[in-house]
Amino acid sequence: MTDIYRPNNQEEISQFIYDCYESNRPIEIITFNSKPIGRSIQCSQTLDLSKNSGIVEYQPDELYIKVKAGTPLIDILEVLKSKNQMLGFEPVDLGYLYNGKPNYGSIGGVVSCNLSGPRRFKSGSLRDHLLGFTAVNGKGECIKSGGTVVKNVTGYDLSKLLAGSYGTLSVLTEVTLKVVPKPEFSETFVMYGLTPKEALEVFSKVMKTSLEISGACHYPKNNIDFLRLNDLDNSRTITALRIEGPKNSVQERIESLNKIFKEVKEKTILEIYQSDLFWKISANLECFNNSPKIVAKISLPPTETTDFISQFCEDEIMGINNKYFVEWAGGLIFLEIGNEDPSYLILEKMKKFCKEKSAHIMIMKADNTFRTSGFFLSSSDENIKTLASKVKLSFDPKSILNPGKIYAGI
Amino acid sequence: MSLVMPKPDEATLLKSSSIINGLKKISKHVLSEEEERAVYETDGLSIHRQKPIAVVLPETTKEVSLILKYCYDNNVKVVPRGAGTGLSGSALPLEDSVLVVLGKFNKILEIDFENRCVVTQPGVTNLSITGAVQHEGFYYAPDPSSQMACSIGGNISTNAGGVHSLKYGVTTNNVLGVEMVLIDGTIIRLGGKNLDAEGYDLLGVVTGSEGLLGVITEITVKILKKPQSVRAVLIGFDTNDDAGNCVADIISAGIIPAGMEIMDKPLIIATDNFAKAGYPRDVEILLIVELDGTESEVNTLIEKVLEIAKKNKASYNRASESDEERLRFWKGRKAAFTALGAISPDYICMDGSIPRKKLGTVLNEITRLSKKYELAVANCFHAGDGNLHPLIMFDSNNKKELKKAEFFGADILKYCVKVGGVLTGEHGVGIEKRELMCEMFNNDDIQQQLSLKKAFDEKSLLNPGKVFPILHRCAEEGRVHVHKGKTRFPDLPSF
Repeated sequence: MTDIYRPNNQEEISQFIYDCYESNRPIEIITFNSKPIGRSIQCSQTLDLSKNSGIVEYQPDELYIKVKAGTPLIDILEVLKSKNQMLGFEPVDLGYLYNGKPNYGSIGGVVSCNLSGPRRFKSGSLRDHLLGFTAVNGKGECIKSGGTVVKNVTGYDLSKLLAGSYGTLSVLTEVTLKVVPKPEFSETFVMYGLTPKEALEVFSKVMKTSLEISGACHYPKNNIDFLRLNDLDNSRTITALRIEGPKNSVQERIESLNKIFKEVKEKTILEIYQSDLFWKISANLECFNNSPKIVAKISLPPTETTDFISQFCEDEIMGINNKYFVEWAGGLIFLEIGNEDPSYLILEKMKKFCKEKSAHIMIMKADNTFRTSGFFLSSSDENIKTLASKVKLSFDPKSILNPGKIYAGI
Repeated sequence: MSLVMPKPDEATLLKSSSIINGLKKISKHVLSEEEERAVYETDGLSIHRQKPIAVVLPETTKEVSLILKYCYDNNVKVVPRGAGTGLSGSALPLEDSVLVVLGKFNKILEIDFENRCVVTQPGVTNLSITGAVQHEGFYYAPDPSSQMACSIGGNISTNAGGVHSLKYGVTTNNVLGVEMVLIDGTIIRLGGKNLDAEGYDLLGVVTGSEGLLGVITEITVKILKKPQSVRAVLIGFDTNDDAGNCVADIISAGIIPAGMEIMDKPLIIATDNFAKAGYPRDVEILLIVELDGTESEVNTLIEKVLEIAKKNKASYNRASESDEERLRFWKGRKAAFTALGAISPDYICMDGSIPRKKLGTVLNEITRLSKKYELAVANCFHAGDGNLHPLIMFDSNNKKELKKAEFFGADILKYCVKVGGVLTGEHGVGIEKRELMCEMFNNDDIQQQLSLKKAFDEKSLLNPGKVFPILHRCAEEGRVHVHKGKTRFPDLPSF
């Protein structure tokens, strides 16, 4: 049994970490503990941040919101919605993947994972939207970096480091996020029956236009049943392109897409309501609802995607048929594979592929056995691991914050 | 003027000739003669000058690695330098340092339209990247005013911005990967052509680190497709507050302009005289708003912006009717620094970032300080992203004026921090704002940054004396800085 400590504010968090630092006690950091993402770790202490919650400052006309790190993301989204604004990185709700139901979790958790939704290739990732933070490092010291402004080069940009550090560098206590206006209108242009290769060609083509596509994904035949929308035919592969902006502009650009792809016979347009729903379902990985298997995220250059798919996702001749889909205009694949021995072998082959192709794997979900013995992030370079280890120790010299969460031994 | 730098290491100075010989064994391009070194004794902050022991211009990553390893093994300080256009002295050599100039890294290595990126060497200028891809309608988004001369490696060092940052981000949002050499000679690659890199975002922290963490030898940047239509509108106001409110209202209306710039009267006149931009000369403050997207979208947005301007008592407006006219609107703004050079013997350019709605307050304070210090000032402001560039005019032949100008500048930056802003938006801290860091950060904040520095550079050999205060207790020019009537860190060891 571990002790769970629930501090109310930064001072209490700081004191607790200081005590643990002094007595060499490792701490697992949680908020709602809804998603055991990352490697499995064992700590004598658990720090639950859910009480350090609340919106500190919301300035719609300055385009930022400052919140305590334990604030439920859903509360933040509601407040932003009331002013017709949103988080530009399109947060991912991993609740579906982990428990089959919505649960965004806390903003601190979301920032610590640096996961970004379908708009990522156009609007940047979560780390691009984190303007500043306060946190407590592994010595119990309160530190801050950044601010509330978008242009800032005052000292090292520690916000970038803390986003996606899975609580291994410091415990976030307050974060300031950039917010953006909600697009006035959006529609989605859907083409049916394309092969992955054809879909990648579509992405390449539209990304060379000025149409400002803000979502581009492809769902193969083995992964479309769950897409149930009135105007969507889920019996063939789906290749979807999202257009957002003022209504007249959206309609003009949809018309341009119609012209560019006039040869494609099977297509449809999802109007705003269904379009929004479609991208939410896609962002939240609902196709892997409560998946009992290993789900991996592969970030790769779009030109390598077709090759990756034929090697690891689907290939009739080789008998490969894993559930997957392509996001970020070809720059991202989510893939589900079995959680038994042969899959481990596939993962090793994937790692080799990634090392050669400037790509990278992250395990979104896995069972406890894999979380204990397998990898969380595919690491390509020992020098980077060495540097990462030094960076970890510069924040957390005794390695007491989520030790081993990202890499074994770091 | 006197600038306190880390004390030169006597032992290093004594073995200068052996260091030069050592470097000559590694590189063909070692400059050690007095007049050769003089070329590199300063960067864009030219009031400070210092010659290094030697200047090396390596041609390959391997060479950079060997040079750094040599310096590491011999405990010699290293200062990296790009094009030397930086405005805060980040590339100022130290007396006991070797200056590594990346000027020979001047090739674009790969243009990859399929993956929407360009792989380039760091010495390539910002504008040449756009130049290399514009035939296919692509461009590189960050556009600092010095883009014709500044290098992309230097852009990474200061996380350079430009006039389109609100919509398209600054350097950090547009860089996908780098190859860099650590001080011990280790070559590493961070990121690449894929969007999400692995593990800690080391690329994110290297961007904007002013050459303190490593020497960048290759860069992969994202390129974007040019928008279908771009138009700009000039709007004139009689007061700072009306202009500030107009900017806030545009953002509140859910409009994110591609660029939004403000100039005050002294700058309107100076730039218009210089660039013949066609600015109205009877307004106190001028706002340039640029909108991009599809043609109908841009036209609709221009109407909305003009409506908002009218509500905020705009006394002048003109929307560009052609691309030539739009470029003319920008010609004045982009020539701001040069134009001012024509009317004042010297000026220093400050670089605070502030919350947009504090613009009126800050401009009024700058006017007050201008009277206090009896020095003229002109202001340009990236209103979209809150980045303010007051240009303080003085005559460097008058020692008293230079001193006053520096105090004036420091007072402006302190005020920026006071209203919720930061010391530097895009120029970097360098040596110029080093001692002001304590206005924003306390001892724990700074110690954390220094610990991180040690993770990359344990011996503190890379670009020491920059970014972080080196005087005890955040003292300024030998006097203890007193804030709110008390010293901030009475027990602080020197950092």
